[in-house]
Amino acid sequence: MDYFIQLLVSGIAVGLVYGFIGMGFAMIYRATGVVNFAQGELMMLVTYVAFTLAGTFKLGFWPLLLATVVVSVLVGLIVEVLLIRPMLGQPVFSTVMVTIGLAVIIRSVVVLIWGADPMPLNTGLPTAPIRIGPAGVYPAQLYALGIMAAVVAGLWSFFRWSRVGIAMRATANLQTTALLMGINVKRIFALSWALSAGLAAIAGVLVGVIYDINPGMWMTGLRSFPAVILGGLDSVFGAALGGILIGVVENMSEGYIGRGMKEIAGFVLILVVLMVRPYGLFGKAEIERV
Amino acid sequence: MRSGNFKQDYRQLLSLTDSVPVIVWSILLVLAFALAPLLLSKYYVSLLLLLMITAVGVLGLNLLTGSTGLISLGHSGFLAVGAYAAGIVVNKLGWPMPLCILAGGVCAALAGLVVGVPSLRLKGLYLAITTMAFAVIINHLILNGGSLTGGSEGLSVPQPTLFGVTLAAERGYYFVVLAVLVLAVFVALNLLRSRVGRAFMAIREHDIAARAMGVDLMRWKLLAFMVSAFYTGVAGGLLAYYTRYLNVDSFSLLVSIEALSMLIVGGLGSVAGALLGTAFIFGLNEGLGLFFGALGSGMLSTAAFEIKGIVYGLAIVLFLRFEPDGLIGRWRDIKHYWTHWPFRF
Repeated sequence: MDYFIQLLVSGIAVGLVYGFIGMGFAMIYRATGVVNFAQGELMMLVTYVAFTLAGTFKLGFWPLLLATVVVSVLVGLIVEVLLIRPMLGQPVFSTVMVTIGLAVIIRSVVVLIWGADPMPLNTGLPTAPIRIGPAGVYPAQLYALGIMAAVVAGLWSFFRWSRVGIAMRATANLQTTALLMGINVKRIFALSWALSAGLAAIAGVLVGVIYDINPGMWMTGLRSFPAVILGGLDSVFGAALGGILIGVVENMSEGYIGRGMKEIAGFVLILVVLMVRPYGLFGKAEIERV
Repeated sequence: MRSGNFKQDYRQLLSLTDSVPVIVWSILLVLAFALAPLLLSKYYVSLLLLLMITAVGVLGLNLLTGSTGLISLGHSGFLAVGAYAAGIVVNKLGWPMPLCILAGGVCAALAGLVVGVPSLRLKGLYLAITTMAFAVIINHLILNGGSLTGGSEGLSVPQPTLFGVTLAAERGYYFVVLAVLVLAVFVALNLLRSRVGRAFMAIREHDIAARAMGVDLMRWKLLAFMVSAFYTGVAGGLLAYYTRYLNVDSFSLLVSIEALSMLIVGGLGSVAGALLGTAFIFGLNEGLGLFFGALGSGMLSTAAFEIKGIVYGLAIVLFLRFEPDGLIGRWRDIKHYWTHWPFRF
């Protein structure tokens, strides 16, 4: 039983990171219908920026998180304006390939600037694990849980009550009608990329603090795909839940089935889920007409 | 005076080509490739060999992604299945080389059938990510395949032999690969101008509309997956005999992405485009290599690998941005310009 709880807790901790990245995927997909394959790379890039910020200004955890989110939002906007906006009107596949190209570029740029050695992201957080029952968690993992709760609540109220949030939902629902209602769809696209980059920044700082930062970090982005697919590509909160579920399933299968299962458990799970529900658990089924 | 090349019946429309220059130049190209080992250094022959093997795989991906419109990020998986199937068959059963390569293709085609099933229910990016899941799972299975696949230690493959004669990579084997590539191009061209190809393209344009027109989606989508996987599997088999050592690391997702970028650079959906794109990316890589080699062993050469990555990513992005039809589209424009000059259309 202790073993089970230990696996569960560490699974949730990993899953939170997947959740943040998955929410970033969903945020962009909802608005623009594009999956940003560079999400993991974007996360890596801003984490390295965070590393430099932390080293230069000796920032604590919260100021660092805030600064990184700001930088990341800017990066997201730049990417949208320079690379994604000119692709409007092209097939979705082309835009997706642009993000793949961007991913390749970022991977090289990061190694070029910061080198290939793993480095710790030091923010002065205590690193001694806290014991909760039989399981031990790092303080950063508790922070991750708190931030996730805050982000989900914040985004929910944003989509529910704010004018911009409602405009974003309208755009996700039907672009043409949104345009007719006077919504600036271009600006909504840019905002989606900015928000998504902000989520990537949170994920990146957490990964950096809990583990370390290395040029292989982008793999976490790849591993987060099952999370967003499980929840449904267009469901932001589904992605958060999907992330936690995938984290737990990965840890459980590693613990009970065998070594190395962690790498594929998520992918096997989504294969099964997609066979039953082709749009994920919370995704909107698309009705197609000829 | 005829103002253009007009087709007047269906036979003309469906023929492989009605242009004498195209036939002549194609034959000359094949001859040039056949003579290359006599003229070029060992290094360049080896490079050409790898280019031809890659072209076979890219042709396969083109049939699926370019012609049928089903995006696959899992072709590194098919390549791995083909390579390992060939390697295992030759090591455990000792079959002759052509059969081993064929076995690679067949195993990959069967895997394609399995991966194709989700494509009946999934669309677009969901499908792309599912095929990616397949590639990840295949890599895991190979890594944990014990003595069958050699796990992380890899699998060595004996030198290729044909009718009892051992083939050196840059001499005999080169011609085997060339023959396979010519055959592959020929089959792909014929497939695309037949009923099968038209069904594929109908599915690409709009699958529900295609179904309404009487195209059996299940049959043709599965066939597209199988044919595409077969091509890639054969490429895998050829690759196994070329590298003669298989390791799971050489079949990462990056391989799928590289193949896709070759397709995009060349022009989606066109056989000639697939070949052009493959050649272009190879040329780009080699050119950058030469460039950094010429700069010497300074600061830049240590960063050469990363800069290559950046140029490579930029090539994808810029092509998509400025030439979405790829090199083949540009070629068509140029041809059009000169045949119609001084008119603009």
